Amino acid sequence: MTNFETADVFKDLDVNDDPYSYFEYLRGKGPVTPLALRNVVAVTGYDEGVAIFRDDENFSAIDSTTGPFLPLDYDPSLDIDDQIARCRQENPFANTIINQDLPDHNRSKAILNGIITPARLKENEAFMHTLSDQIIDEFIDRGTFDAVSEYGQPFAQLVIADLLGVPKEDHGQFRDMIGDPAQLPGALGGDFDFSKNPFVGIATYFATYIQERRANPRGDVLTRLAQQTADDGSLPDVMEVVAVATFLFGAGQDTTVQLFTGMMRYLAENPGLEDRLRENPALIPDLVEEVLRLQGTVKSTFRYVRRPVTVGGVDLEPGMHVMINLAAMNRDPKRFPDPTTFDIERKNVRSHVSFGRGIHACAGGPLARAEARVTMERLLPRIRNIRLNEAKHGPAGARHFDYLPNYSLRGVSEMQVEFDRID
Amino acid sequence: MVKITYVEHDGERTTVDAQPGESMMKAAVSHGVAGIEAVCGGNCACGTCRIYVDDNWRAKLPSPGESESEMIDFCGDPDPRVRLSCQIAVSEDLDGMEVTLPESQQ
Repeated sequence: MTNFETADVFKDLDVNDDPYSYFEYLRGKGPVTPLALRNVVAVTGYDEGVAIFRDDENFSAIDSTTGPFLPLDYDPSLDIDDQIARCRQENPFANTIINQDLPDHNRSKAILNGIITPARLKENEAFMHTLSDQIIDEFIDRGTFDAVSEYGQPFAQLVIADLLGVPKEDHGQFRDMIGDPAQLPGALGGDFDFSKNPFVGIATYFATYIQERRANPRGDVLTRLAQQTADDGSLPDVMEVVAVATFLFGAGQDTTVQLFTGMMRYLAENPGLEDRLRENPALIPDLVEEVLRLQGTVKSTFRYVRRPVTVGGVDLEPGMHVMINLAAMNRDPKRFPDPTTFDIERKNVRSHVSFGRGIHACAGGPLARAEARVTMERLLPRIRNIRLNEAKHGPAGARHFDYLPNYSLRGVSEMQVEFDRID
Repeated sequence: MVKITYVEHDGERTTVDAQPGESMMKAAVSHGVAGIEAVCGGNCACGTCRIYVDDNWRAKLPSPGESESEMIDFCGDPDPRVRLSCQIAVSEDLDGMEVTLPESQQ
């Protein structure tokens, strides 16, 4: 039994494997509660977390992915905004769109909004149907598949590739450039090797695409990306566009993959659910939302306090790291009655915060929802009697999984699913 | 100060003192109007700050831009009065304006 009083959520595997019990312990101490380590304050309350997300003045997003492992030792005798700016200059990973503050964030966001447009999402969804069918073809005769490596990863990767207009002939190479989830920000202990990340390879492709389209425009999606202007109407540097495009591959990979594993798990654990969805596919979006609420991939994100401010009755001081536990906000009984019960008819389920809130809310939310829905729409007519491999994951009631060792992301390293083929 | 009244679907009314220049979304959220969710924080990317504006006030607003129109289409809200409050800047002309809110922003 873990002693939560002395637990280190940033290092302990026990807390990592069952974060929900730890969050309930924190909730018992209050919706906003200081941890006795690393200058971190934990948020479990729904209203309190949303208030912080909406406050761009008192909070910076510079630590949103790293939390307390941000390489910044705050010196109260110096201006905090200067220290934040210097930290960004010295650490490129602290200067991506997810870590930027206003007004820089507006610039990146303008480039991103040019990529993820409603019209583009519609075209992308047509591609998802074809892609899903092709990937299912690869395992349909086998009666088993790993929802992570044999469906989720290739599907999520190629959906982003298509969204950004990567030519079909390069899709094979992009399928091979999938990152190791162990080397992501948020790795337990704060250790991750970004050089092992495939972003470098992907960035090289995009630098070539963008330069080539700027020299020879040809009316494709990549040309639109190459010509997309920033919020001030200027044409960004090639590498600025590359940074946003590359970021999407990171943001849209493991997060989406784990949405698929979450859905497969609930289907396997709730006999009858698959039949209900097959009979009434209009319920699929409700399944997606309830899985997002209960098993959203981002369990915790962070904000850095830059001005003295009080939230939930707790005084926060500059230099503190606020750990906003989305997984706990989504189980706040004041917002979601009977919060741990899986219920696809929950009325206010769409107000979950699995995609965050405020200016940093996930731009890929509509994309992820479409990916999850299309996946179910293509899978359910072809496979039935969905179950987990008991040799691998244990019997119902005593399941076990290898969870990603990460204090920000929740996910499993594999999920072996078995099924009967529908002929 | 510009007085704007937001009427929730259940009839609850909140009148706020809005600052010229801020968005109608910001004015609502900062005064705790529950019916405006504004998931994306004003980036015209989520369609969850929808308001319904009647003709007499609608005439005083600039027409929706391309991105607002696209996002409204994407949301599929069939009400012809729909606008995105994050894309409308408060001005003195709007003093006394009343808008209604959808039953759900999703």
